[in-house]
Amino acid sequence: MKLWFSFIKELKLASRGFYFYIEIFMALLILAVLLFAVPENFESKQTEYIHLNLPEMNKKIYLQKIKKMDINGSFEEVEIEVDNKLIQSKFYETEDKKIYIINEKDDLIKLADKNRKLGAVIKLNKNNKLEYEYYLQGYESKRLKNLYLISHIEDTDTLIKALENQDVRPLEADYDTLTDRENIIPIVLTFNGALMGLFIIAAYIFLDKQEGVIKAYAVTASSVWQYLLSKIGVLLVTSILSSLIVLLPIMGTQPNYLLLLLLLLTTGFFASSLGLLIASFYDNIMQAFGTIYLFMLVIIIPNIAYIIPGWDPIWVKILPSYPILYGFKEILLKNGDINYILKVSLGFLVVGLILFAISNRRYKKTLTV
Amino acid sequence: MIKVKNLYHSYSNDDNYAVKDVSFEVTKGEIFGFLGPSGAGKSTTQNILTGLLELQKGEVSVAGYDIKKIIPKMFNKIGMSFEQSNVYSKLTAKENLEFYRKLFDVKTRNPDELLRLVGLKGKENKKTGDFSKGMKHRLTFARSMINNPELWFLDEPTTGLDPAIASEIKNIIKEQNDKGVTIFLTTHNMYIAEELCNRVAFIIDGEIKLIDSPKNLKLQYGDKLVEVEYIENGNLIQETFSTVIKSDKKKLQNLIGKHEIQTMHTKEATLEEIFIKVTGRRLV
Ligand SMILES: Nc1ncnc2c1ncn2[C@@H]1O[C@H](COP(=O)(O)OP(=O)(O)OP(=O)(O)O)[C@@H](O)[C@H]1O
Ligand SMILES: [Mg+2]
Repeated sequence: MKLWFSFIKELKLASRGFYFYIEIFMALLILAVLLFAVPENFESKQTEYIHLNLPEMNKKIYLQKIKKMDINGSFEEVEIEVDNKLIQSKFYETEDKKIYIINEKDDLIKLADKNRKLGAVIKLNKNNKLEYEYYLQGYESKRLKNLYLISHIEDTDTLIKALENQDVRPLEADYDTLTDRENIIPIVLTFNGALMGLFIIAAYIFLDKQEGVIKAYAVTASSVWQYLLSKIGVLLVTSILSSLIVLLPIMGTQPNYLLLLLLLLTTGFFASSLGLLIASFYDNIMQAFGTIYLFMLVIIIPNIAYIIPGWDPIWVKILPSYPILYGFKEILLKNGDINYILKVSLGFLVVGLILFAISNRRYKKTLTV
Repeated sequence: MIKVKNLYHSYSNDDNYAVKDVSFEVTKGEIFGFLGPSGAGKSTTQNILTGLLELQKGEVSVAGYDIKKIIPKMFNKIGMSFEQSNVYSKLTAKENLEFYRKLFDVKTRNPDELLRLVGLKGKENKKTGDFSKGMKHRLTFARSMINNPELWFLDEPTTGLDPAIASEIKNIIKEQNDKGVTIFLTTHNMYIAEELCNRVAFIIDGEIKLIDSPKNLKLQYGDKLVEVEYIENGNLIQETFSTVIKSDKKKLQNLIGKHEIQTMHTKEATLEEIFIKVTGRRLV
């Protein structure tokens, strides 16, 4: 009962402070950015500039080949800018490429260089075979460079045949992927939802320390853990609210909201308990700022691993935000790994409880400091 | 109600004691005054008694509970008014009290009635963030009696209040005591102490110098003083002399011989003057 009254009072306080509104405002802002500024899918087509150094005859055949692959079956005459002058170019768009045919080799090199795109010169060698000259950026991996090398040692036809014979089948029949926009949501849920509690609860504690109200609480027939837990409760409500603000308009009813609630509550509990513990070591927010900033930096690192698929060192996986990110991702996927979500939730609940117990001890002892 | 034996406390956990070998007892129904200058260790002692500071060394029992193992239930019997007011500035005066009363398991007092009692009628629904210092202090004071405490800790209850309101507060304390409430009063206001306390303890540099009733102290130390008004070079001058101290007696005799005396009264030494005499220190 006392816990409930404390919780209601904390809600009242939060609604009259401004941290609460910051979080809600952030959620609305993120929603607006996702809806209006982030495309459903990012541009993933590769752009290539090609210069054909071929006799008219071969040139025609080659262009016809590309034309067949074009999604509209025709090209577009476009003007592109090179070195402050406009040049004419034929533009083809295939399933996975954007191809510009450039008339001058010099322009091609400049374009490839300036736009950091692939440039290729196609010519005939002495044996009347096609020869490819690539202009790369220099930072491509060795593997990619080798790929370009071998792809033309063999006759193109054999290569295509080999490719066509390769059967690519998804592992699970119903496996669903997220759009690029949806793929950002786990980051939002992790940071604006779960982990924001760490900083905001610390801010709340420092407000209370400044007003001395913790002391007043300490001489009532209520326990410190109730005071602390009621604060965490408010943080959890805010995080659920701000998460739903972003999630509902973008993903509708697709995610499993029960699992979402579970993961939000457990990870939010963990983060707020950690925030309580950190705040217990300092008298005011200025003193705590350095430590909080450090935590913030460390916690953000797994984002990089999340966004760049190839970079995934083990030490990043140990950081708490890593499993949270992937936990939320599993929730958004149609056939997400429920086991994984449950395991992550349980883990954070256990660690959260331990942190909470330590915080409780510390607050009991250091009330007047 | 309170038993303290050989209490020590050091904020730095060494032999730099803020409270040193303090022992005293407070019996049920009495008003016990804890008097001393700033930094004497009054608040430190009170904070240990109410569990706000950890008990390091010594034996303390409060309202029948051993302070070594504090349980929340104990605070149903205890009220505490803080030296520095501490209320939720984002809540109104009434909301502060409404919330606070729910943290006890015993019958609590009506917030409106309490607010009226301390002169905050009409301010019930104002956020305390907009309160003056004195208003916050009165709210903190009112809050401390919301659970009808048997034992009431008051740390500087009248500091910073204007005389009229301070006198109101004094009356409230008296009334509560008449109802049987035991009061532990910390102050450096000697007039309040003299008027309210059954017994006082003089504390200096963390040590208790003496414990007695104001009445006894006056019998013991309260030698008569003479207050004289006389004219010197056309100016009216007022001076106080002891009738015991030799040099004072001589000066007084001199004065009577040489000057025109306007008025001459005998008066009793105040508690403050006794304090200075006993401890050799002023109360500021
Ligand atoms: N939190 C603290 N940390 C370290 N030292 C402290 C702390 N609080 C008080 N002290 C020191 O302990 C001594 C006693 O302080 P205390 O607050 O008990 O005095 P007091 O008698 O209540 O004075 P006042 O009349 O000014 O309220 C002082 O020397 C003070 O500097
Ligand atoms: Mg004090």
